[in-house]
Amino acid sequence: MKLIALFSFSLLLSTFATAQQSEDLIPKDAVTVFSINNFSVLQKVSLDELVNYEFMAEIQQELFDGSTHGKTIKESGIDFNQKLNVFYGKTFQYEVSGFTFGISNKEQLFTVFDDFQKEESKQAGVERYSSYFNQLIIKGSNALLIRVEPIEENINSITDSIWYSRGNDYPFYDFEFYDDYDGNAQERAIEEVEESEEFYEELIIEGDEAPIEAPESGFPEAEEINSKNYYELRDSVSYVLQEQHLMSVLEGLFQRNENLVKFDPRFKEQLAHESDGIFYLDNSRNLSRDQSFWYMKTMFPGLYQDIEQLYTGNVMLGDILLNDNNVQLKMDANYGPQLGSIYEELNDSKFDKNVLNYIHKDNSAYFTYNVNLRQAYDQAFKVIMPILEDEKNARISANVLAIELLDEFINKDALFGTYKGSMFGSFNGIQKVATRKIEFIYDEETFDYEEIEVEAVEDMPIFTLGFSTDRTDIPEKVLNRLSRITSRFENKGGYWMFEDAILDAAPLYFINAKGLFILTNDEDLVKNHVNGYGRNAISGKKAKEIKKNGFMYAEVDWANTIERLPKDIFTEKQNEVLEALRGKSGEMKLTTSKTTAEKTSFDLVYTFTGEYENSGKYILDFINSMYVLTK
Amino acid sequence: MKKPILFVFILLTTILTGCIEIIDDLSFNADGSGTFKYSINLSSSKIKINSILALDSLDGKKVPTQDEIRTKIDEFQRKLMSQEGISGVEIESDFTNYMFKLKCDFSSASDLQTALKNVASNFAEGKNLEELKHNWITWDNATLSRSIPELTIDQTKKVKPEDIELLKQGSYTSITRFAVEVEKFDNPKAVMSKNKMAVMIKSDTYSLMEQTSILDNRIYLKK
Repeated sequence: MKLIALFSFSLLLSTFATAQQSEDLIPKDAVTVFSINNFSVLQKVSLDELVNYEFMAEIQQELFDGSTHGKTIKESGIDFNQKLNVFYGKTFQYEVSGFTFGISNKEQLFTVFDDFQKEESKQAGVERYSSYFNQLIIKGSNALLIRVEPIEENINSITDSIWYSRGNDYPFYDFEFYDDYDGNAQERAIEEVEESEEFYEELIIEGDEAPIEAPESGFPEAEEINSKNYYELRDSVSYVLQEQHLMSVLEGLFQRNENLVKFDPRFKEQLAHESDGIFYLDNSRNLSRDQSFWYMKTMFPGLYQDIEQLYTGNVMLGDILLNDNNVQLKMDANYGPQLGSIYEELNDSKFDKNVLNYIHKDNSAYFTYNVNLRQAYDQAFKVIMPILEDEKNARISANVLAIELLDEFINKDALFGTYKGSMFGSFNGIQKVATRKIEFIYDEETFDYEEIEVEAVEDMPIFTLGFSTDRTDIPEKVLNRLSRITSRFENKGGYWMFEDAILDAAPLYFINAKGLFILTNDEDLVKNHVNGYGRNAISGKKAKEIKKNGFMYAEVDWANTIERLPKDIFTEKQNEVLEALRGKSGEMKLTTSKTTAEKTSFDLVYTFTGEYENSGKYILDFINSMYVLTK
Repeated sequence: MKKPILFVFILLTTILTGCIEIIDDLSFNADGSGTFKYSINLSSSKIKINSILALDSLDGKKVPTQDEIRTKIDEFQRKLMSQEGISGVEIESDFTNYMFKLKCDFSSASDLQTALKNVASNFAEGKNLEELKHNWITWDNATLSRSIPELTIDQTKKVKPEDIELLKQGSYTSITRFAVEVEKFDNPKAVMSKNKMAVMIKSDTYSLMEQTSILDNRIYLKK
């Protein structure tokens, strides 16, 4: 009888193990997930290429050590019949990232993950391997490669607490005061750090015997423990927190059976789609877990709850489709009824056809954005003010009063008549723009020299940005007054010029006509096409497509746009996004549906042209671009 | 040629890779004392520099703020002023046109050389010290030899091919003036002023980075 029971139990366990899928190992804290169903397309991608992707950056150190050289994903022991899931998440305490996958050949897998050492696992049926940076967790035929990083502010806060409690002075680092901390996590970490240090102190202090020396495994002797410098202490805190948080994630996954599939039915439903891949981004958790919300959560719990409720349901769900010559991302931005009512009003706007006249048909990149700020403002006032009014706090009440007074006193017709919210933008390539430079002139007699200022030209990316307006008289008033304040502002008849406005070197032009207020550094546009491009503007079928589109439409010709954008003019973050997109050719088109109270649908199609080794690279490029944009 | 300034020069040419114009102007009095002027003109790359300065970092390197650059310049000026045989140190910084001009008086060529080496060594924080052993200038009241340390060769290899054309648009002008007439000089690329008291050599920045000896010259004075 016992044997039967044991056999049944074993069978149950093995059934459970085989039934489990790679996606069941995604922690519930994941807020962004890319899941690739049609994983077979990646078989030909080399591991060397894979580890170079930005989305692998957090977890690629041990892969990028030569063990992957010359191998493809096919030879990595990964099961291509299962999904590959890349995830990222953030809580108030830690960031978690990694990916989950099925295993077909464990031996092959460890030729790739060759730096991982087996560790004792606290969860039954779970194997744990660790490297310097990451953890590889295996359960049955599924694996989770995970990295858990404590939030830096928390590490600093706990370290400071211990540091100052020991009577130390200012630790000479960029100090910021953090009053938003997780008290329990802090206390636990402080206790653990102090316990580990006390252990070695006691070994030396207690008893009459000769002190027992600390092992040589890197632990300092007791006398030195108290002289840990700030950064050594900080490392200890960081290590302890990392272990705590990792344990918390693993206990959740394997003991409490908590994972994203169970936590969010929307994700589960999305996983069931038969597309080549799916995309999940929970904006509501992204927002509510933002560190800046910690203060609100602590000080104004009622308000925090209301704001959290406002964002409830704000999740983006998408399908990735691999077609013959394109990759398509179909995405729904979902939201709750309150936020939905604001978006519905925001996007209830008639398209301003004048915009099209200022977009050249050969522009390599442009977008149109069509919203109704006035209606959105009124709806937001209706939705948000009651939330704020309920809060019985002097500071918030004062803010509510200020908002109400502004609402009464400000001429909203003039404000939203001037800036309605609809706009467009275009990238017009790189052009030479006129600047001035200093030159040295030499006297042939003595080689003495003097400086003269001469005309010069420099390369500059040319952009145009325009807004729809019903009140062209108001921008005109502003421009007129500015021209009285500085001679650098000049009315050139039909357009205005602001000298040296861009980077103190190149002019910025303004066109205020036909219900549009346009800012551009395109000299050709203002001098030769101040009334629009006419027959050379976007028209016909394309114009109709843009007009009937939802609130946003964009097109980018990669080869002519991304490669030509100079790195110098973008921030590091923007350059990361651009870098993820460089080296591709083809077109990307973004269209949107009409916005309803529940959702807005986006359709992003990346059509590639030319010769392709395999489409797997394109899906990875696409995922990488999206990852960089959303992380 | 002038080591510390060359560091700046290399940094600017390799990072900014825009048009740069440099004038290195060395004047000798009859007693061997003189005046050294060094001008860096980046005005033709104003847009590029402004856009770079607006960033926090570029290619993984931190981009200094204008204040940090000013602090470094002030530090350079202070250190140069404290060197033996150096006086009247003036630095003009124009952050609108990105023009930087150094002027200082020296009591002898060797004092100037030692002073610049000391300051360079201080700024280099132990790096490239081997190159600072090189003497780029020797002067015996009748003959002057000038050369450039070969520190730029390695830097040239790091320049991306697409930036080479930009470097070719930059220029480096070296002028040497004397209180007496020049008899002759060795470098065929050099030219003499009409009053015969100054010698000038000009090179584009790319050629100079490829071959630092391009500006080497020995100048003989009339007795």
